[in-house]
Amino acid sequence: MANTKTSMASKHAREESMWGYIMVAPTIIGLIVLNLYPFLNTLVLSFSKTKPFGLYELRGIQNYVKMFQSPEFWRANWNTIYFCILTVPIGIFLALAVAVMLNAKIKGRTAFRAIFFLPMVVAPAAVAMVWKWMFNTEYGIINTLLAHKVNWVTDPNVIMITCAIIAIWSAIGYDAVLLLAGLQNISKSYYEAASLDGATKWQQFRMITLPMVSPTLFVVLIMRLMSSIKVYDLIYMMVEESNPALTSAQSLMYLFYRESFVTGNRGFGSAVVIWTVALIGLVTVVQFWGQKKWVNYEV
Amino acid sequence: MKALKKAAVITLSASLAMGLTACSSGGTSRDGKTHLTFQIWDVAQRDGMQKICDAYTAKNPDVVIEVQVTSWSEYWTKLEAAAISNQMPDIFWMHTNEILKYADYGKLADLTELYDDESKTYYADHFSETSLGNIQGSNGRYYGVPKDKDTVCLVYNKEMFDAAGVAYPDENWTWDDLIEASQKVYDATGKYGYMAYGDDQLGYWNFVYQKGGCILTEDKERGGFDQPATIDAMKFYIGLQDYDWCPDQNYFAETSPGTAFFSEQGSMFLEGNWNLLAEMNNYPDMIGKWDVAVLPKCPDPVSGDGRATISNGLCYSTSATGKNLEIVKDVLKFFGSEEGQRIQGESGAAIPAYEGLEQTWVKVFEQFDYVLDVQKCVDMFDYAVQSVNNADRPVWKTQVTDALLKIYSDTYTIDEGLKVIQEAINTAGDDD
Repeated sequence: MANTKTSMASKHAREESMWGYIMVAPTIIGLIVLNLYPFLNTLVLSFSKTKPFGLYELRGIQNYVKMFQSPEFWRANWNTIYFCILTVPIGIFLALAVAVMLNAKIKGRTAFRAIFFLPMVVAPAAVAMVWKWMFNTEYGIINTLLAHKVNWVTDPNVIMITCAIIAIWSAIGYDAVLLLAGLQNISKSYYEAASLDGATKWQQFRMITLPMVSPTLFVVLIMRLMSSIKVYDLIYMMVEESNPALTSAQSLMYLFYRESFVTGNRGFGSAVVIWTVALIGLVTVVQFWGQKKWVNYEV
Repeated sequence: MKALKKAAVITLSASLAMGLTACSSGGTSRDGKTHLTFQIWDVAQRDGMQKICDAYTAKNPDVVIEVQVTSWSEYWTKLEAAAISNQMPDIFWMHTNEILKYADYGKLADLTELYDDESKTYYADHFSETSLGNIQGSNGRYYGVPKDKDTVCLVYNKEMFDAAGVAYPDENWTWDDLIEASQKVYDATGKYGYMAYGDDQLGYWNFVYQKGGCILTEDKERGGFDQPATIDAMKFYIGLQDYDWCPDQNYFAETSPGTAFFSEQGSMFLEGNWNLLAEMNNYPDMIGKWDVAVLPKCPDPVSGDGRATISNGLCYSTSATGKNLEIVKDVLKFFGSEEGQRIQGESGAAIPAYEGLEQTWVKVFEQFDYVLDVQKCVDMFDYAVQSVNNADRPVWKTQVTDALLKIYSDTYTIDEGLKVIQEAINTAGDDD
């Protein structure tokens, strides 16, 4: 009797888990076909000498040796890090400022929220095209307003700053909306208590807002840093092949694109991608380790 | 319960299978006709190509040809992916930049014997040596039917020349005249003179061959950037940006010479003849203000007579493993026939590769109030040089561009830069 009962139960459990598998199958299959399989392929290619039409020969670590010896590669690393330094701190600071302002009781708050979020809705290519016109040395509105000829797009020392300005502008609304959600979760009672105790606005921000919003801030930081390391489309649109500032603007992903699809050297390109994945992994691990020091999960 | 589960599994697997097979295409379809696809990259030539297809299908009603346009930037990525999965379009344009790669890897059908039933010497009888050079694989076999041929010409602004009191460029013009006229135009109007930017086919290649130098040696194995003639021509060409009347490379990175020319900022630039018709259509306000001349010649060539222009040409190709190869071959045969080439010329798409039909293209320009002297583009075929190419071009092309930009931005001296370029070309084919 007891025996049949357990077998019934286990049969039931089996059926249950079977259904579970079927339910998650579309996602899992999608992940395997669209993410895992290409990733493994890239890994294999990074150890191969590639030829046209998908042919390749395994060659060991040759691509990596070549990559580490290439000054272009190190330059691309620096360019990418420089881009992150320019965009991430300023971008997140501004996003937080915007979020705090949008959280305050001001007139037309919803309209402002929509306006700040707009850049996120526009296609990155269109964004880059418009900014490119505005930054044009000869006819651009920015140089006209400055009454000064700055080579925004072609000066090797300026191009990254130009790209950073556009990147920050594009991302600010999205980050602000995420942070705003975080801000709205903070209970009003903290602020009431603080003001009763005579805390200034700044003290309230530092002692209440910042710690309470830190989990959201952490998520935003991770996402922003990842997408900054992977920056490609913006630079591709801004910097054409004939631009003398090309080497100063070439990010890791742009280097990967040029090697893989322009030069046709997919092996080398794959090695650059694997390196970038490792870099992102490392940065993320460091962040998760560092979060213990500043992120507050207690409500 | 069991039935339900079964149904779920079947639905799931069926939907997956459908996803996998949705991309494959059929040759002969329900209407009993053979459907062919024809892939091109230039939207301006779509109508011309459609007319050729219509002429063919009028005679062969059991064939339907669909012209598809993919932009140049996506064309090669797409075609390579199609080649890997054996799904290439039935007919497609092939470019000299890429033909060696496709031909040498066996992706293109060998069309050397296409016209053997008509004449064993059909190709040689009707197409120039340059055209035939553009359809050959590394083994010398033909992997395409010549489509068109082009030259690079000098485009100039008549109004600015008049304002400066300079005679229009003619076939006696030399590099010295180019500089002199540029200076005079600049002094008189404040507009730029000849706009020398860092382009190969529409720039320094022409000057190098005029000087008697070369980009690749005769056997295409090595670069020519260690030859004095090439070095001199490069120094001359790059040095043009030092004059006040020529914008620098920073300017060109944001404003192409064509844009500058048609917004009346500069008086001269090198243009490919294939863009002229579109420019007539796109800038109606400029009609009558500009014209076309042959390229100025080198006054002191190391060899040759100082004249040269780069000539390239496309061809029609098909996959080596196509399902409808026999029918496609018949279509290609028509594309390369006098009739097919004449339709192309008359549509204004491009100068037909077929010798003797050049005038069909020239006549297209008679539709405008001001008739451009496009005959000059045709005249230059007498001394045209085949566009530079070898199998490793995709590898060295980007390296050469990078090095050239470093010369322009003074990271390299010209001598250092040219050494880097020479090295890049020589080592591009090394199997490491």
